[in-house]
Amino acid sequence: MTTTRRWPVPLAIVLVVYAAAAWALTLRLPVKDDQIDWFGSLGAGWMAWTFPTALFFLTILLLLSLMAVWEYASPGGNPRVGILRFETTRGDRLFISLLGSAFINLAWLGLVGPSLWWALALSVVYAVGVFRYV
Amino acid sequence: MEKTWNNKAWFMVLPVLVLVAFSAVVPLMTVVNYSVQDTFGNNQFFWAGTEWFQEMLESDRFWEAMGRNLIFSLVILAIEIPLGIFIALNMPKSGWGVPVCLVLMALPLLIPWNVVGTIWQVFGRVDIGLLGYTANALGFDYNYVNDPFDAWVTVIVMDVWHWTSLVVLLCYAGLVSIPDAYYQAAKIDGASRWAVFRYIQLPKMNRVLLIAVLLRFMDSFMIYTEPFVVTGGGPGNSTTFLSIDLVKMAVGQFDLGPAAAMSIIYFLIVLLLSWVFYTVMTNYGAER
Repeated sequence: MTTTRRWPVPLAIVLVVYAAAAWALTLRLPVKDDQIDWFGSLGAGWMAWTFPTALFFLTILLLLSLMAVWEYASPGGNPRVGILRFETTRGDRLFISLLGSAFINLAWLGLVGPSLWWALALSVVYAVGVFRYV
Repeated sequence: MEKTWNNKAWFMVLPVLVLVAFSAVVPLMTVVNYSVQDTFGNNQFFWAGTEWFQEMLESDRFWEAMGRNLIFSLVILAIEIPLGIFIALNMPKSGWGVPVCLVLMALPLLIPWNVVGTIWQVFGRVDIGLLGYTANALGFDYNYVNDPFDAWVTVIVMDVWHWTSLVVLLCYAGLVSIPDAYYQAAKIDGASRWAVFRYIQLPKMNRVLLIAVLLRFMDSFMIYTEPFVVTGGGPGNSTTFLSIDLVKMAVGQFDLGPAAAMSIIYFLIVLLLSWVFYTVMTNYGAER
């Protein structure tokens, strides 16, 4: 579907807000022995926020916002029947990607080891595959 | 015809979003935060990374509870769904019998879960319970306190007693919404009772059955109160389902990190299975 909407503007806003929020998070990072403690508590009380978990949720929010921008640029959700032989929209494909990625990381953790960088890379490949073929 | 896109309608969803944010998203985020940290109380947390997830994935205790829970849910679905459909098909469609049946069916649903547990805990007791005493008087060696099989039977029968009526009511709602024209057409074609069920009633109940299966699966997969009151997870660990194990870990042992990691794995499995059920059943309905 072609679009004449000015989607680059909301896209830029979303990316700038994400970058600003991530930067604001780094300002709250605790310093221990003159070193930034990337895994220390952000001092947000009972919710026990840390930088990695806050960035994780911020990235989920970014993905949802990007989906909203995509929907603004090209309304309708782009429904189609892919290799799973049932109709999926962009939102469905994001859900399948996120849920599948969670299980890829869990499987990696259980079968390979605690370093999850390769599992993350595999999840990205999986998500691209889902958006392309499902 | 060009479809109208009016995104202002999304603002109507805002109150629900706020409500869900407070009741579900904030607690979920907190659980995620706890799952990667260790705490000894007093709001002091120490980074643990993926340690608790690894511990859970390698824990026999976790997988055994998961296995018990899956078996329980499958047994519950295998009994309650066909039984619910059978009762709904045999309920009267008109006359004084309708309100009587509906009230009778609704009664178990009105009883609080812990009261249901207490009723069956007493009911099954060998010394004073009607079920336990009678079963033993008839020569059955029934004792849910020290026999794992009897404990399972008690918990399953209790759940069937409590929740089959939900399936019945949903199926009944689906059945009464079928126009008479379908039955008349089937009669003209000389369709058998089975053909009417297979090609008219079952497809028309598809949507409500989807809701029934989803509700019963999720509810049975998260069951806590009733088996906890009746058996306390015993004898041994034989009826310790995931949620009972989770509460033991989080509240009993105050192992918040492992309990949070367990909660997330538990949540992901519920999400996956619910999505699979939903997708399979909605697409099955769409194909028809």
